[in-house]
Amino acid sequence: MHSRTAIVMTIAVLLAAGASVANPAGNGDANRDYTCGGSCHGDPALSTPSDGTVSVSVDSTAFTGTATAVHVTASGMSLSGNRLLGVFLLGSTDGNGDHPEDHGWSIVQDPNGGTHNYVEVIVPTSDSVTLTWVMLAPQATGPVNLFVATHHGSNPNSNNWAYSGLTRGYTIDVQPVPENLPGFAFDWKPETRITGDSSPTLIKTTNTTSVSVQWMLEGEWIPHDAVVTGEGDQWFAEIPATIGDTRLQYRVTTTNGEFSITQPWLTVATQPAPFDGDIWDARLQGFALSLLVIAFLLSLQARLSPWEGGPAADMTSEVEADSAPPEPLGLEPEQSEESDEYWSRLVPSEDNPGWLWDPVEQEWVADPENPPGGAE
Amino acid sequence: MFGAATFHAAMAEIVVGCMVLASLCAIGCATGSIMPNFLGGRLSSDRMMLTMDKASIAGACLGLVFIPIAALSGSFAADNTVNNALLYNKFVYTGLAAGFWAGFVIGRVRLGPGLWEYRSLSALQGATAAMAILMTTMAASIGGKLVRGESLFDIMPIWLPADSATVLNPIVSIVMIVIGTGSLYAVLKLGPSTERIETD
Repeated sequence: MHSRTAIVMTIAVLLAAGASVANPAGNGDANRDYTCGGSCHGDPALSTPSDGTVSVSVDSTAFTGTATAVHVTASGMSLSGNRLLGVFLLGSTDGNGDHPEDHGWSIVQDPNGGTHNYVEVIVPTSDSVTLTWVMLAPQATGPVNLFVATHHGSNPNSNNWAYSGLTRGYTIDVQPVPENLPGFAFDWKPETRITGDSSPTLIKTTNTTSVSVQWMLEGEWIPHDAVVTGEGDQWFAEIPATIGDTRLQYRVTTTNGEFSITQPWLTVATQPAPFDGDIWDARLQGFALSLLVIAFLLSLQARLSPWEGGPAADMTSEVEADSAPPEPLGLEPEQSEESDEYWSRLVPSEDNPGWLWDPVEQEWVADPENPPGGAE
Repeated sequence: MFGAATFHAAMAEIVVGCMVLASLCAIGCATGSIMPNFLGGRLSSDRMMLTMDKASIAGACLGLVFIPIAALSGSFAADNTVNNALLYNKFVYTGLAAGFWAGFVIGRVRLGPGLWEYRSLSALQGATAAMAILMTTMAASIGGKLVRGESLFDIMPIWLPADSATVLNPIVSIVMIVIGTGSLYAVLKLGPSTERIETD
């Protein structure tokens, strides 16, 4: 019975381990080709089409080098227990050279505040999520395509399939930028700030004589004006610090005498303050705790173990029993027959007053009624 | 050649394997000692107790030998830098695990195989082994969290604090080392000498 239970439990553990999938917690935001360049998500034997819906919203026309927002909405897909969704923004679907930057785009900001073409997000319980990439259009004119691919899991997922979705190509006609159009500098990327840092945000522009910035917390409807200083192509906007999980967005309007261009909303990318411990702090702390634990355990062991003078060597009870006064007359404990037999076989000796001879054990025993040397 | 991370994973597997054996046997010994009638008395039979005692001390000794190797290889795998709380706590839990296992082994060696005949000592050794395996698995699980983003503790009701770290000033750590060393000296040299308890 027990062995059968053990076998069933072993099989259950093995099956539980087998139910695990490759990277259920994702791989993090990164720059990736379509299906990670042919990973298990691209293997038809290991993947299946996504059951979700993906829609892409992007202007069909863009000017070279100007900022364009690409909005991706994914909804209705099955999700694994951690509700993780991976979304790719791609310039092609060949399996290599698919990054939008391989096709002339420059990612100013991804939905998570970085500059990657692949991001992972936790889908809210509404089962719909909208992600926005802000990119600078290629410098070369002509039509270019953008694709969106999604990766996700499912719960339950008995076949261990990776779910993959791919949209059609969205064509954007890149046209020559009007001369003297103000905008972001092509090499500018928003800075990542430390949580709590309220230092001014640097904005690099081209063809711009003045800049205005509006900011708002995510979910707010009415933006606030930020103080902007600077000149030429470098501007500094006073945007409040972000604290905790709050997301702060800002929008730049670049102006010169001829044009005023309102750029897409950007997110203030924040990251936690750098960890302030180093490896020697960790080693010292680990070693110190180790020593303290050993010392504590050895103390407890010493306290609980039999030691000289400890509870196990405490002879108080025996000593008290030996030195106990005799019971009062009439209250003596009854002697057993065995004891009577013992005392009756002892023989008194005139040569040795106070002693009795035990013929069985061949030894002298002190006479309790006539102690050797008399009562002192 | 293989990378430090691969070597570290192999060493960590040896440590965890040894320590699981050691802790199961130690807890078995403690259970047999405290509840002699458990499993119809089979757990507390002389033969079973002797086997589990030997397995626990062998597993703990082997694991204790490999803990420093696993810690050093892990340190190399992380490029000798600690840049987040999880990694920092991995060092701390490794230290705690080493401390508990060392306490377990020293106690068993000093007190002898007869310690399981004393209920209080059995309970202490069993609790020490349980804490030691908890610290060991916690350190190992943090490795899983760092590399794969998931760990066994995700599906268990236990998760010790690991997402934030209490970074002690190195001077405080040094003071703690001095206190620990002094305490060890006091227990081993100044305190009453413990008797090795042999089995009947």
